[in-house]
Amino acid sequence: METQLQTSDIIQNPGRYVQELYNQYAAKLLGHIFEVVKNMNIAEQYLIAVFKDVPNELNELSKSEVNSFCYLQAMARKKLTNFFESVNDCAVADQVPATANPNNKYVGMMTLEQQLVFCGVYWHGKTITKLAAELDKTEETIKRVLKECFTTIRNSSR
Amino acid sequence: MIREYIDSGILETYVMGVASDQEVKELMRMKAKYPEIKEALKELELDMERIADHMAITPPPSTWNKIEQEINDLIVRPETDPEQFTQRENFSSKQNGNQYIEVESESSHMRIHKNWKWVFAAVFVLGKIFLGCAIYFYLENRQAQENINELKTEIRQLKK
Repeated sequence: METQLQTSDIIQNPGRYVQELYNQYAAKLLGHIFEVVKNMNIAEQYLIAVFKDVPNELNELSKSEVNSFCYLQAMARKKLTNFFESVNDCAVADQVPATANPNNKYVGMMTLEQQLVFCGVYWHGKTITKLAAELDKTEETIKRVLKECFTTIRNSSR
Repeated sequence: MIREYIDSGILETYVMGVASDQEVKELMRMKAKYPEIKEALKELELDMERIADHMAITPPPSTWNKIEQEINDLIVRPETDPEQFTQRENFSSKQNGNQYIEVESESSHMRIHKNWKWVFAAVFVLGKIFLGCAIYFYLENRQAQENINELKTEIRQLKK
């Protein structure tokens, strides 16, 4: 799924490397950001901000053990921190995750509890501690639920 | 023990970016030590890509241009040694064709042959000689005119 460029190539031609990353991951990243901000113009601005910072992260991104997409997503999440704080919370009280996109087949196959945990972390940037407090569960339980979410995703993609 | 660690959900917490610093440190240590954890982590990272791929939205075509423009302003060009001048094979081989390349120069300066400096020096020295001669003959002429006037005055007085 991922084609790693040689470190020397990256140093010699960082612009090409950024474009390579953009071609591979921009669509995925934009989809993720859009699910958070729900506005295409704002999502595009965040996407630009993320890729603009990539030249500063070349040392980390060029490491063979680093998954480029996850690293880019982490960069996006860092930029979205302020947005996470200002955005409407998941409708936990109504027991309906506000961000559970009906078009997302993976989320659709999760139980309500799994949806609340997955959406809370993935699209609302909530910490395990915060979710544990909100759902009145232990942190270990939340982590276990999160693991179940991934098991569901993996099973549904087979 | 490793199975327990993997099943604890700590790996999922990490790939979702919500693991604490202590958890990340521990995970990095375990990952380096146990290939099973490394493998499980890789699988989860692919799962993350799979989720994102499902929700992917192609960015507008202009987005990359905006990014490229900003990056080009930031990227410092790597230092390279100046290339040594060598007679290009294709340049010297074009003996029959036009050997000169038309270049519209933006510089206001011109380059001339070194021999021209002797010409300029000679012109300068000759200029000085001519100037000196001109001043000398001007003064001589003025002196002669004064002498003539004095003689004329003397002749007029003698006539009286």
